[in-house]
Amino acid sequence: MIRNGRVYEVFARKKRADRFEHVGAVSAPNEQLARVYAWQTYDEAKWFEMTVAPRDAFAAVNRPQAPFTLGAPAGRAAADSR
Amino acid sequence: MGRFTDEELQRKVQEGFIVESEEDMTETYKRALITQLTVQGDTELISAPAYFMAARDAPSTNTMVSATAIIQDELGHANIAYRLLEDLGVDRHWLLYEREPAHFKHPYGFDQPLMNWAELVSANALYDRAGITLLGDVHRNTSYGPLKRGLVKVSMEENFHLRHGEVWIRRFAEAGGAAKEAVQRTLDWMFPMGVEWFGMPDDRKHHNAQLDFRLKGMTNDQLRRTWLKAVVPLCEELGYDLPAQYDPASDEVELTYELPCQYDPEARRWLYDETITWKQVFERWKARGPMNEQYVDSLRRSRFAVERLLAA
Repeated sequence: MIRNGRVYEVFARKKRADRFEHVGAVSAPNEQLARVYAWQTYDEAKWFEMTVAPRDAFAAVNRPQAPFTLGAPAGRAAADSR
Repeated sequence: MGRFTDEELQRKVQEGFIVESEEDMTETYKRALITQLTVQGDTELISAPAYFMAARDAPSTNTMVSATAIIQDELGHANIAYRLLEDLGVDRHWLLYEREPAHFKHPYGFDQPLMNWAELVSANALYDRAGITLLGDVHRNTSYGPLKRGLVKVSMEENFHLRHGEVWIRRFAEAGGAAKEAVQRTLDWMFPMGVEWFGMPDDRKHHNAQLDFRLKGMTNDQLRRTWLKAVVPLCEELGYDLPAQYDPASDEVELTYELPCQYDPEARRWLYDETITWKQVFERWKARGPMNEQYVDSLRRSRFAVERLLAA
């Protein structure tokens, strides 16, 4: 559940010949901050290239849903199990 | 949700099925996963103010930089866990800013003050070792695909924290004298915290959804044993005294005190002579430790201070 902003998927590769790999995701209020959060959070390698794209920009090809789409927010009640 | 019953899903994940989205889950699976991710995220998050408290005692600029690099990693790891929780419908703003401090789910060990450099590096050696033990098992065994991927980065960085701790407690040991004593005094209260990190013993837990749904692979006792077998021989080699003994012949570690055990947080001392029950330990964990509110508050304060600065 995101109050402000969107989920951005993060892709990176270490060198030119490499494939882009999906390294994670960030939630951010806008693209500028998504870029900052991605660079600060996924700093485990010296990336040659990193890019972010909004999750809702992905279109499923062979399945009903794009793979990153993990379903509609179900509210926060479930987390408060303590 | 609703594609499988609990029994069907349990059988499937034991055979290697990987859950990728909510439609693969049952309500029980989802609840167990949310609990696991909350413990994971909260532990990473609260380690940041705990380590920061001690990092202020860093002996030089270089050492301060290593400590803050570790703190930044931990905040990143918390972000990864909370991001996964968002996809399960949990509100991150609520997790971070609106929960009662006492409702955070990190281990009791991270409710304690870390006062100086010796305590920081001991925590890296003991608590980050506990983190690797727990998360390494999750990384190898979890049936939840997004978490398995998220842990690639986490495992890499936790190993750096552990090395930082182990190298430093070795340096303190080699220095001897007051330096070594500072680490020894820390281990005296911190080691049993690490033993407790892994929760109730197996014979107290009748049913475990995290194991049934393959959200982890090892039981509490197996994880505790793995941790002991890493920590105790190293500390013995470095000449630190622990209330535990490693037997090279059987490759086993025995505690030389009785569990469960009571802790006096003001005196920072374990009351080895007092006989208590696990129920009492559970109550101590639930009541949280002395730094609980301060640590949570310090994370919140920085955000609201910035908001006020910008609004002025």
